[in-house]
Amino acid sequence: MPVKKMTVLGLYATLSLAIYAAESALPPLAPIPGFKLGLANIITLVLLRRYSLKDTALVLAVRILLSALLFGNLLSLFYSLSGGTLSLLLMFLTGKILHQKFPPLTGAMGGLAHNAGQLAAAWLVTSTPAVLAYLPLLLPAGILTGLFTGLCAWLADRCLPGRTL
Amino acid sequence: MKNQKNIRTAAILITAFLLLVTAGCALCFLAGRKKTDHCTAEIYQDGKRIYSIPLDQVPEPYTLEIRGKDGCVNRVEVRPGSIGVIYADCPDRLCVKQGFINSPSVPVVCLPNRLVILLKSHGAAKDTGPDAVTY
Repeated sequence: MPVKKMTVLGLYATLSLAIYAAESALPPLAPIPGFKLGLANIITLVLLRRYSLKDTALVLAVRILLSALLFGNLLSLFYSLSGGTLSLLLMFLTGKILHQKFPPLTGAMGGLAHNAGQLAAAWLVTSTPAVLAYLPLLLPAGILTGLFTGLCAWLADRCLPGRTL
Repeated sequence: MKNQKNIRTAAILITAFLLLVTAGCALCFLAGRKKTDHCTAEIYQDGKRIYSIPLDQVPEPYTLEIRGKDGCVNRVEVRPGSIGVIYADCPDRLCVKQGFINSPSVPVVCLPNRLVILLKSHGAAKDTGPDAVTY
């Protein structure tokens, strides 16, 4: 990997970690476990538009590992990984299908996949199927927050210089 | 030109899918929102039921302290007809913020401590005899 690209990707990882930290300092928007805006997803969406799936996955993995190390524990790492992997794959596919048009739709699919993955992880951890009662709340929440982060990513992508490296 | 059209069709299909999921979820949520007066609270830790409390047989409020394997603590308050977490040592305390529940629609969950409190209406839970409250 060229040094310049590595540096830029490192900066993106730092930026998403900072966004994640700022968001976790905010009070929760609703008393639903697993519900959050997912602002760090903006970086993932921007990266998917500009770099390959591999590069994006690398930045996402670095962010998830560091955030679990700094703010979370082993359990939160497990939740983040399951949600993050699923949403990354679905956003990659949606972006491919839509040729990177309509980023809010890509974001919405990502939010949906993220919450589905996280709830599946919660099911595994608590081994209580009753947590699936949150599914009807968390799926629309993921779609809504995903639309928002997708919109943010669209605006950010237009403002950021240098499409490719 | 044809490509452009394909993208638009895909976008419409995805939007339709998202709307369908939302509508389905709304329906599920509304359907599960039955008002019931006689509920049994079941408290699960690590997937095992550790308490089963018929809430209509609670004369006055009391608290339960539930400790996990790794030393985590939740204090649960049982009231006549409702139940909720009043203290937790987990980082986000979302379980406390969820407040008290009195219907089976949504359980109270404390993910860090792997604790789930759910309500069942008496008809559904026949296996709870009177001895289930001895502890």
